[in-house]
Amino acid sequence: MSGIEINNLSFKIGDFSITNYSLEIGKGEYFVLTGANGSGKTTLIKLIAGLYSPLSGSIKINNVNVENIPPWERNIGYLPQEGLLFPNQTVKENIQFPLEMRSLTKKKINSAVDEIVDMLDLSELLNRKPQGLSGGEKQKACLARALVCKPDILLLDEPVSAIDEKAKIIYCEKLKALQKRLNITTLHVSHNSIETNLLADKTGIMK
Amino acid sequence: MNNYTKKFDLILAIPLLLYIAVIIGLILSAVVKITPETILSVFNNSAIWNSAVRSFVTSIISSLLAILVAVPAGYILSRKRFFMSDFFDSVIDLPIVMPPLVIGLCILLFFSSTDIGRFLDRGLVQWIAELTGQKTNSSGLFIFNVGGIIAVQFVVGCAFAVRVIKSGFDELNSQFEDVAMTLGATPLKTFLKVSLPNTMPAVIAAAVITWARIFGLFGPIQLLCGTMRFKTEILPTTIYLEYSIGNLNGALVVGVFMILTSIITLTIFKKIGGKTL
Repeated sequence: MSGIEINNLSFKIGDFSITNYSLEIGKGEYFVLTGANGSGKTTLIKLIAGLYSPLSGSIKINNVNVENIPPWERNIGYLPQEGLLFPNQTVKENIQFPLEMRSLTKKKINSAVDEIVDMLDLSELLNRKPQGLSGGEKQKACLARALVCKPDILLLDEPVSAIDEKAKIIYCEKLKALQKRLNITTLHVSHNSIETNLLADKTGIMK
Repeated sequence: MNNYTKKFDLILAIPLLLYIAVIIGLILSAVVKITPETILSVFNNSAIWNSAVRSFVTSIISSLLAILVAVPAGYILSRKRFFMSDFFDSVIDLPIVMPPLVIGLCILLFFSSTDIGRFLDRGLVQWIAELTGQKTNSSGLFIFNVGGIIAVQFVVGCAFAVRVIKSGFDELNSQFEDVAMTLGATPLKTFLKVSLPNTMPAVIAAAVITWARIFGLFGPIQLLCGTMRFKTEILPTTIYLEYSIGNLNGALVVGVFMILTSIITLTIFKKIGGKTL
């Protein structure tokens, strides 16, 4: 199947382990994964992103086994909890970063940046450094950076936990609209039922 | 700032003021002894000029070498856990805690009594000379030579540089690097575009601390390189030589010059944003 397919995945780090975990997320689906603290949701995201290597099992993205593909070649969008815009770069430089890593021409970079900036209404923030941005603004910029290269999948690790309640709903609506428009397979890890209700096509609980 | 803690703050400020008074008093006790004639005689002394140039050149070269080693070393010690990494981390601190003279003695023994040391000191030059068909003088590269000054300064300074730069990498959230890699950056590009630029204040601080530490280094350099005018003399050696021939005022002028240089360097560094110091 297209999308994300995980079969019998096992992993161990220190005292923590995941054993024989399987999960399927269809192409273009928005999957929200919940579960108690320490159940391994973040670890699972890092395994899919290639930041951890599994002990056994398989991970397929759009029918391609990715266990032996390094993170920089997996074409994924990854948003950790704090977003983490690079502090030494402006918002625009942050959004350009993945395009520059792919050695695209200046023209293509500008056009891709303009497109995502329009979609997320970021034009006012482009020349600002991350230090002066609100939690919501930072997360929007991080989302733009993660999506600008049109990744095959989007991995979101509690992306709205640092945003206030009002901005959270606006952000979630924007996120959902964008995900549908770009038809990106999305795995979203969350503790929050508001997010789950607003965003999920399907949900799962990690135990 | 509020008025409620004023008395408490003032009491706590007393030790600070006393210590600053001690430092300024010590510097002033040297400065007041200096006359315009002494300054003029020092400025007209070509040996001292020669020593000043050698001091700046060797300390800058050693600092740059130390930073070149300390950046990758600090990164690895900060980011990776590997077999004996705690041991390596402790070994890095040895030049900081070891008495400088012992470091000098170890370096002298290395270059004079080990095969690899002797090869680096003399054999390498002879080998290159044989290859190019040129004559060499009998002196080595390090023992009683300028190379020795740089070697000692590097060994002492690099430990400080690694410690400061490692702290810089420790403070940078390693998830920035994770994010960069998922965005398409290879480990090298991640290091050059994300890790290093965001640790630059620590790298600059390390360069300044290292330079300040080795600029005044004397004991181990004297042990390895001696005190030869126009050959291995650096400013701390000049102070020693001038003092030993009874020219106390000359020694004081050089000492005050070194203090002023350090103050100016540290002030410029803090002005340009070195908040790590």
